[in-house]
Amino acid sequence: MKLHLRVWRQKSKESGGHFETYEAEGLNPNMSFLEMLDVVNDRLTQEGKEPIAFDHDCREGICGSCAMAINGEPHGPNKGATTCQVYLRSFKDGETLTVEPWRAKAFPVLKDLVTDRSAFDRIIQAGGFVSVNTGQAPDANAMPIGKEEAEKAFDAAHCIGCGACVAACRNGSAMLFAAAKVSHLGLLPQGQPERAERVRKMVEAMDAAGFGNCSNQYACEAVCPKEISADWIARMNRDYALSLAQKL
Amino acid sequence: MTQGISMMIRSSIGRKWIAAITGLLMIGFVVVHMLGNLQMFAGTPDKINQYAHLLKSMPGVLWAFRLGLIAATGLHIWATLSLARENRMAKPQGYAVAGRKSRLQVTLTSATMVISGSIILGFVIFHLLHFTVQMVDRSYLSMQTVSGGVTMPDVYRMVITGFSNPWISGFYLLAMALLFSHLRHGAASVFQTLGVRDRHLAKIIGTGAWILAVALFLGFAAIPIAVLTGALRP
Repeated sequence: MKLHLRVWRQKSKESGGHFETYEAEGLNPNMSFLEMLDVVNDRLTQEGKEPIAFDHDCREGICGSCAMAINGEPHGPNKGATTCQVYLRSFKDGETLTVEPWRAKAFPVLKDLVTDRSAFDRIIQAGGFVSVNTGQAPDANAMPIGKEEAEKAFDAAHCIGCGACVAACRNGSAMLFAAAKVSHLGLLPQGQPERAERVRKMVEAMDAAGFGNCSNQYACEAVCPKEISADWIARMNRDYALSLAQKL
Repeated sequence: MTQGISMMIRSSIGRKWIAAITGLLMIGFVVVHMLGNLQMFAGTPDKINQYAHLLKSMPGVLWAFRLGLIAATGLHIWATLSLARENRMAKPQGYAVAGRKSRLQVTLTSATMVISGSIILGFVIFHLLHFTVQMVDRSYLSMQTVSGGVTMPDVYRMVITGFSNPWISGFYLLAMALLFSHLRHGAASVFQTLGVRDRHLAKIIGTGAWILAVALFLGFAAIPIAVLTGALRP
């Protein structure tokens, strides 16, 4: 199979970027999107040209590295899948695909499709942890947690921090990410001592990083490869207000 | 105390709460306003005239409500515009190819909140100049009627006179259509912002917001339509 690609090429953070077109030929429909980019890059390398830079790591849908928008949709057209889990059979033979980096002020483009997502790290550093004394690993089941609560916390903890929520949001908002992280710890007993402080600090870090604000359209939820629900944003809004109420 | 308030004013979620609570207050106002207006259909002009007279006979309460509403409106505009400005800055560049709208759940009403809100504000100012300050048509100042032995402003006649003008009716209907658009997204958003939404409630909230927006549109639009079609006569 064959695809026409329009790929964003950008030398560095400071330089401007532009689209370049590539013909990807002799493809197998069962190749992943990233394998297709590997094929294109092999050819570019052989031709002595600069290969397309893109982030990737596990290639099994759990690391959240492979950030790119395909035809304006983060991680491409499939529901609940990262780019590495999108296979060429999802596209029509001969289709034109426009491949772009995440677009958001808080995620500046470093090179081609690679963006700097360290703003997420700063949100985590602000409170996405529980403070525990180190030592021996605790005994299993030493702290009883209800099945329901554990499942809910795990739903939120599925977030892999890929940034697709920000990339899809017309406001560049990181509220789905922050909400997933706030909620997964806030639902567990280990997260209770720092719960009020955590949501305040993480929201503060989120605002400081230059993300926009949720306007309740839920594009984030629609593209999230882990199908994190926008309900977590409602929970974060509630937690945040309760936290501020303590300061009143 | 001051720390909590300053965090509320500065933070994204704090300002979303301000927008949601003030929005809720304004929704409460438009619902009561629409129900009050429906007295135009009572069959006698006395009903709405006496209602207006009753409101005006309590200037303290009336002004408390007016000032409260002005404050709510001002806070709503400030909070939403400051959030919208940050939103524009946070997304300096969009995608060359737009994703499918159906997938990204973008609706016309949700994407045009600032526009619909601004035109509604313009309408509210005109509407106040028209019926409250009575600057648009100075003849309103002399429209009086006697009901139950008391002389009072003839609100019924003002409404009929005003809406007999197709331009005024047209602007009114446009504003009410935009109010529908604004509330269809806004009334549902209030619940998300105030933290009352989960996957079971989402459908109810979405449908409820739609029903509220439609009911308000029909309730308000009924009057100019009735005047223009001659169903309501002086």
